[in-house]
Amino acid sequence: MADIFPVAFLYFLGAALLLLLPKGPARGSLGLLIPVLGGIMVWFLPEGLLWNVRFLGLELEFMRVDKLSRVFAVIFSIAAFLGNLYAWHVRDTMQQVAAMIYAGSAIGALFAGDLITLFLFWEGTAMASVFLIWARRTEGAYHTGMRYLIVQVGSGVLLLAGAALYHRETGSLTFEAMTLGSLATWFIFLAFGIKAAFPLLHNWLQDAYPAATVTGTVILSTFTTKLAIYALARGFAGTELLIYIGAIMTLFPIFYAVIENDLRRVLAYSLNNQLGFMVVGIGIGTELALNGAVAHAFAHILYKGLLFMSMGAVLFRTGTAKGSELGGLYKTMPLTMIFCVVGAASISGFPLFSGFVTKSLVLSASTKEQYYFIWFVLLFASAGVFHHSGIKIPYFAFFAHDSGLRPKEAPKHMLLAMGIAAALSIAIGVYPAPLYALLPFEVKYVNYTTPHVVTQLQLLFFSALAFAVLMRTHTYPPELKSVNLDTDWAYRRFLPRMINRVAPGLWSVWTAKLNFWQERFNDLVRSLHHTHGPEGRLASVWPTGSMVLWIAVLLAVTLVANFLSL
Amino acid sequence: MSQKRKEDPSEFSPLARLFLWADDPVKVNRMVYGLYAVCVLLFLADFVYLKTILVSAERIPGFYAIYGFVMCAALVICARMMRVVLKRPDRYYAPRDVESEPHPAADLDRIEHNG
Repeated sequence: MADIFPVAFLYFLGAALLLLLPKGPARGSLGLLIPVLGGIMVWFLPEGLLWNVRFLGLELEFMRVDKLSRVFAVIFSIAAFLGNLYAWHVRDTMQQVAAMIYAGSAIGALFAGDLITLFLFWEGTAMASVFLIWARRTEGAYHTGMRYLIVQVGSGVLLLAGAALYHRETGSLTFEAMTLGSLATWFIFLAFGIKAAFPLLHNWLQDAYPAATVTGTVILSTFTTKLAIYALARGFAGTELLIYIGAIMTLFPIFYAVIENDLRRVLAYSLNNQLGFMVVGIGIGTELALNGAVAHAFAHILYKGLLFMSMGAVLFRTGTAKGSELGGLYKTMPLTMIFCVVGAASISGFPLFSGFVTKSLVLSASTKEQYYFIWFVLLFASAGVFHHSGIKIPYFAFFAHDSGLRPKEAPKHMLLAMGIAAALSIAIGVYPAPLYALLPFEVKYVNYTTPHVVTQLQLLFFSALAFAVLMRTHTYPPELKSVNLDTDWAYRRFLPRMINRVAPGLWSVWTAKLNFWQERFNDLVRSLHHTHGPEGRLASVWPTGSMVLWIAVLLAVTLVANFLSL
Repeated sequence: MSQKRKEDPSEFSPLARLFLWADDPVKVNRMVYGLYAVCVLLFLADFVYLKTILVSAERIPGFYAIYGFVMCAALVICARMMRVVLKRPDRYYAPRDVESEPHPAADLDRIEHNG
């Protein structure tokens, strides 16, 4: 019974209504209204199971609300609002509808109480989001979108297979805490892992996000990966393996981010790194660690969206987001620069910015549970993220060498969206209590202590010092027009090449074998025709009665079979 | 875009003019020396407050400072070495990749400052 109208359907309704409205402010306003209404609904939803349906003998739980799903739904609503505000100028129906269905599906998945409902919305996010990449409408974007879709749908198929096996094992489809062990739980774990961009499963993210449109990337950056973080937090909290997976996730992307030229791809790598912190938190699984993972996801959506927005604005005005082509933009895009710096300070965890009060929960949990090695890794990753997201992004886009580009400041609606995201990032950093109140567990953590502030400042300022020294000694790798090989090389280059090399050989063996057996078959038919055909010697002596005899035999066999089966 | 014309800083907004030091090597130098000074102060700050030691490495004076500096330098040097192996021309995956494509004009609004 439905006690409440599901929030996801509000977005789907919005997507349908968009088509009825003329392009322009009316559609833009609806794009803002739906997340506001959705956000209000989410805020006031009572906890518990609010809507379940019996379908094909399965109990589907469309609306199960608790603190964990609510906090994610709140930030998804804010992100949908900011994304649509940022995309106010867009007149492309495909993108507008896709963004609406994408946000709706992601929120729907948060409230899914069972694995089948989760699967439906999970695939919804995949199907809708790919249009934000295809909306670029170039050959490269088409192929990139295809790769993205194959990976995303692959994740969905694994989830469905896992759900089916899980149902056979336990007789239940409820989406709740699971223990890794059976094939079913491994399938589900991998399905989540693909969307959370686990190491080696990650490259769809860096491949696809920079290929989307200016606004598409901003919207993409919010939902898919954080939905996976939510799913891991609900399904696999306390799974120790996640600690090590997360630690690797925080590490390897920062090396790529240093040498990557496309600044939107640098952000995609740092997104991957930030997901690592959340995955470590989920792996540790204590109340403090889970609070840290969720709080960090919340703050991350805002500052990462902000950073993508600022690079999007640069791309929007200059036609490129490549570090090698940019520089000196602060002169004509100072507001975008300042917002970018706020995002950079937040992701780096400067005191008074959001990353400081959220990331520290995870780091603190790692020492509390005596994962000291992990703590060293996370500390390195924190310094590294400051290096490439905190310094590199603003420096190469807005300062560095003067590119001579003098673009106009970003349009007002983009500035407004960036301004709100920046203000929220600072607000969380200055006064985290309201965010802490939303978290699944009570927070008893004090952020602003002298040691915490001083040590964090030491870490960051000495990272900046390293940057300054490396720049002045010309050791820092310059921004170069290039691509860097990542794991996607295996399926974009190596496997196709191998197939191309092996296929002709296999094909010739196949056709030779086929020809051989075809010849044998033809010989057989020819000899049968020769002996039994109309002109055949044996055919001439067949009595008509032999056919009647065989029919009689057939009848007898049928009767015996019938008799025996009785 | 006109690259090397002599610009009048008053063309820029007052906010942008606050950052014009970034184009002046002398002032940039001064900022870098300022950064050095802040770093020295932060290092010294380690001796004036009561530490809460959770990890034994925190006993080392200026541990966070040293760790931040060394690891970041190592990060960049490693990444630079990785580039030798991993770097390919930007048309490497073309045409099945957006890297070498221009961003479609329909998705952009390229306007010059004061344009």
